[in-house]
Amino acid sequence: MNILVCVKRVPLTGGKINLTPDEQAIQTRHLGFTISPHEECGAEEAIRLVEQHGGSSTVLTLGPPEAEEQLRDMMAIGIDRGIHLLTDGTEWDPQATAAAIVEAIRGDEQAYDLILFGNESADAGNYQVAIRVAHALGLPCVNGIKAISVDGDRVRCEQEVAGGRDVYVVAVPAVVTVKEGINLPRYPSVPGRLRAKRKPVAVSTPARPESRLEMVRLVLPEGSSKQAEVLGRGAEAAPSVVQVLQEIGVV
Amino acid sequence: MILVFVEDPTDELSQQAVAFARGMEEEIEAVTIDEGAEYAPATWARTLVARIEQRSPSAVMAPGTDRGNEVLAHVGAMLGQPMAANCVSVTPGDPASVLRVRWGGSLLEEAAVHGAPLLLSTAAHVVAAGPIGDVETLPVTADASELDQMVRVVERVPATTAGVSLTDADVVVSGGRGVGSAEGFAVIEELAELLGGAVGCSRAVTSAGWRPHSDQVGQTGTKISPEIYIACGISGATQHMAGCKGAKRLLAINPDGEASIFASADYAVIGDLHEVVPAISAEIRRARGG
Amino acid sequence: MLIAAVVLAAALAVSATLFATRVRYLLALLRSAAPVRRDGDVPRRVRNEATIVLGQRKLLQRFGPGLIHAFIFWGFLVLAPTILIAFIGVVDKHSTLPWLGHQGWFAFLVDLFAVLVLVGVLAALWIRKVQRPERFKGSHLGEADFILALIATIATTLLLWQACRIALGLNEWPASSAPASDLLSHLFARDGATRVLERVFVWAHVITILTFLAYLPRSKHLHIASAAFNVWYGRTGPGGRLEPLRFDDPDVPEEEIRFGAGTAADLTWKQMLDTFSCTECGRCQDACPAFATGKILSPKLLVMGLRDQVFADGGAIVRGRRGEGPGEGAAGAGAGGGTAALDLAALVPGAVPEESVWDCVTCGACVQACPVSIEHVDHIIDLRRHLVMVESSFPAEAEPMLRDVERGSNPWGRAQSERADWAADLGVRVLEPGDPAPEYLYWVGCATSFDDRARRTAESTAKLLRKAGVDFAILGPREACTGDPARRMGNEYVFQAFAEQNVATLNEAGVTKIIANCPHCFNTLGNEYPDFGGDYEVIHHSELLSQLVREGRLAPQRSEGLSITYHDSCYLARHNDVLAPPRELVAAVGEPVEMERSGKQTFCCGAGGAHMWMEERAGAINSERVREAAATGAQTLAVACPFCAVMLDDGVQGAGEDLRVVDVATLLVESIEGA
Repeated sequence: MNILVCVKRVPLTGGKINLTPDEQAIQTRHLGFTISPHEECGAEEAIRLVEQHGGSSTVLTLGPPEAEEQLRDMMAIGIDRGIHLLTDGTEWDPQATAAAIVEAIRGDEQAYDLILFGNESADAGNYQVAIRVAHALGLPCVNGIKAISVDGDRVRCEQEVAGGRDVYVVAVPAVVTVKEGINLPRYPSVPGRLRAKRKPVAVSTPARPESRLEMVRLVLPEGSSKQAEVLGRGAEAAPSVVQVLQEIGVV
Repeated sequence: MILVFVEDPTDELSQQAVAFARGMEEEIEAVTIDEGAEYAPATWARTLVARIEQRSPSAVMAPGTDRGNEVLAHVGAMLGQPMAANCVSVTPGDPASVLRVRWGGSLLEEAAVHGAPLLLSTAAHVVAAGPIGDVETLPVTADASELDQMVRVVERVPATTAGVSLTDADVVVSGGRGVGSAEGFAVIEELAELLGGAVGCSRAVTSAGWRPHSDQVGQTGTKISPEIYIACGISGATQHMAGCKGAKRLLAINPDGEASIFASADYAVIGDLHEVVPAISAEIRRARGG
Repeated sequence: MLIAAVVLAAALAVSATLFATRVRYLLALLRSAAPVRRDGDVPRRVRNEATIVLGQRKLLQRFGPGLIHAFIFWGFLVLAPTILIAFIGVVDKHSTLPWLGHQGWFAFLVDLFAVLVLVGVLAALWIRKVQRPERFKGSHLGEADFILALIATIATTLLLWQACRIALGLNEWPASSAPASDLLSHLFARDGATRVLERVFVWAHVITILTFLAYLPRSKHLHIASAAFNVWYGRTGPGGRLEPLRFDDPDVPEEEIRFGAGTAADLTWKQMLDTFSCTECGRCQDACPAFATGKILSPKLLVMGLRDQVFADGGAIVRGRRGEGPGEGAAGAGAGGGTAALDLAALVPGAVPEESVWDCVTCGACVQACPVSIEHVDHIIDLRRHLVMVESSFPAEAEPMLRDVERGSNPWGRAQSERADWAADLGVRVLEPGDPAPEYLYWVGCATSFDDRARRTAESTAKLLRKAGVDFAILGPREACTGDPARRMGNEYVFQAFAEQNVATLNEAGVTKIIANCPHCFNTLGNEYPDFGGDYEVIHHSELLSQLVREGRLAPQRSEGLSITYHDSCYLARHNDVLAPPRELVAAVGEPVEMERSGKQTFCCGAGGAHMWMEERAGAINSERVREAAATGAQTLAVACPFCAVMLDDGVQGAGEDLRVVDVATLLVESIEGA
């Protein structure tokens, strides 16, 4: 089966987020970059499904030239080829992102049985790109999945809910968004990394449409600096802690 | 008029969404989908779209839950309109402006929404839940296409794990890197059991293989809202804090007085969890007279 | 006489052939192994041969057993010409070696050393059979007994032969020259029985020697030949430097890149020679902190396991290579570019249990203890390299560290933007691109920057440097992890990326001198970065601080009654010979008291070899060390390494000891500021 995984390059924030002076972006000068955790699990799932059922996998990203690093990372753990939709680094809103992805899929010589996304991206968290892509392509979309199994042309998907799991069964081709925890992504081998350097990446530069959900500026939430009441140091603090717990009513 | 999609009238987050809408000082109409209908996101969205076309609301709101966001995103795709997920506040206008959550809550975005109706889901725990008032139950629409109906719940698998669930627990005791090993969680489990709570952990712990992902609290794990969250040996990375923002109170136990978690904590104990946590457990037993 | 000559010739031919075929096979194995450069620094190598081989220096680290071995070894050097004397004597009982065979002094030496050899053998047997030390656990004692028996037979038959010759009047030197033989000669009358015995003893002597010759290269006694070479080809550079791998050699096709040791075919010729030289003496096992705390790892068993695998796969290795270039040879790797796919067993877990590979803390105590210059740490690192880089197989708890180093530039999962937070109010210059280079670049290191306990050292060091008016700066967020934890885990690829990045940063900034407070940074920056174009003068903070004290630029006040015991960091003392400067600081602020295992004999804190991020699967190394420190009665445990600080403090807290773990820099700052 042919599987497409869509990923996004995001910074690795630490304990505190700092903004650029113009409030248009996070200050990433000393930050490393990675892929949203849900999406990394999506790539791992794609690789496992191809290992099980044969076929090939593709990783796609809409992002700046540096995002090639993320494509190569996914190819290092086993994805076969990459698609890089180049941007200049500015944000694209969910509708624009979905439209660019749809165009790339339509223009691709390969037909995909499964298109995997993360449930939401780590940074913008818009929760909608996959759904919009599915609508544009006339495909069913299942969200927030923690287990996938394929049987012939049917995909069985499990979603965690209170009290258990809800199960969906859809026919391929389908769009599925996954959540971290569906698997544990493998650690890349060095031969894998070296091979990844030579795997093909198709690069194109889609035209950026007008933003419908237009970011005006970024703002740090208030109250991000509380003054914690220090109950004590070490084991001596235990009585004070228990007092607090009693006041709350949990002891 | 604001149309509010209520995922579950008994759920706190749906109640918060209604309260959020009420704060807009417009007429509101709260709807939910037929309880008997199995969940089918596109079908439910189509049902809402039918009501939207009927009633032409200025805005459509939903709780920022997994399903609330999912259904609303389908609505946005069906209508070809932008959708702003997890909003903290709204300023009506042309275009409307929202303040919405990024990075699980560690950052906010001010965005202009160029679309109508204004589609937005409400961020959790921004507005207190109020009485939900009247909620109309809509039957599933007959307009749902074959494609719409393809994605629906066909089976429910009951949970195999016993014990308190993270999402329901009043008390969650979590361990991070500082715990040091899988066995080290014994003291955390002990305290959680004494308090009738659940055990959580940070992403570093699941990556290290010490606890399953189902215990992970964080932006890509479970988002919890207990009465008190006790974070042991957790430094306070933003992706973890995104998971516990809903906690009413946060007690942080960490040997590093400068750890960033203390900036979000209500109570602090500076010390090693391997000393502090057993001491708390012992003190609880003593207080209970045993 | 003719018959005797023919029989001797025949026996010699058989023995020599057996010897030669085996040696040829061993040489073929070595030639088929992966390459490594072990040339250069000839004067040092000559010195090593003289002291370690001839002088038995490393063996004498344990004086009793060392002396025993020295007797036997020197004995065999002295007795070597007696082999020829015996060969001549077996053919013609009236002949001997020209000149030497007639020298009374030589006869005396022969006598003396033959006796010493026997004394040595008896003492060795007593140790092995009566005392039964732990280090022999796992060794092939039966084989050792057989070899000791052969040696004893050679010495005994020689003495008895000499005794008979004296009794028969055949000695070419005065009987009193050889007192032992002379004494024994009284057992024999000058008669026909003795004439027969004389022939019996000389033939027994010769046959035993020839048997030994054939047996030698097939047993661990091979060490008598291989050890001399192994010592010659031993490392001459700093102990802490690991040999880099090359991933981008244009002459090596991708399928043939060596990613460490996956099968026996991947071992370098030095590593193979190591396995040929092991005598199973167990001194490495005794020195190993992992073994001492109940873990599976024994450096001795590791080398023995590898040796056995080399011989199990030897035929295939020699056939498969036939002079072609190095290759992976891993099972299932697939044929690529002409190298035959060698379906060899994986070294891990085949020859070496997986757990033992990860137990190692790379302290180097084993390498230091080994009398024949086996380099166990290099073996373990190469095994790790293959496991991590090819199999992606390593303890799960280390994965977050590897990912954090690679993507976040430090192993703690913290944002680099916060790296200089410790320096916030200390007036420390943070070097930005384009700034003029400081005299010293203070390399703070990841642990010291981010760990709450180690951070104090940075604060103390900065205060002291400022007080002494030293011109220094830090890189702040631009200081990325040196890559040491990744390298010690075996991820050479990630390490090299950081080496190159840091070298570029340092070179662009015009840095020439670096102060490091972490011995791991110190070791990597000073000993390993030169392989990547980074040549800096790197000093440990204790070295600079003790120099400043000596120059009077810092004036500590000694506290009477403050007893301090100093723990030597493995990467500082053993790998890099920095022993005195931290001790000078300790002596300047209080009353030093030494632990028994100190200096280069130090006992690891347990954090090396990336163990700061791995769990210990048996007893705790740090607790063992804390016990030793507490036993000195000192109130303060001084360290010069952030890992040691954290590990030992954990140990102290766990044991409930009343011992303050503190860096020498902090001790110094406290003694200057007063309270």
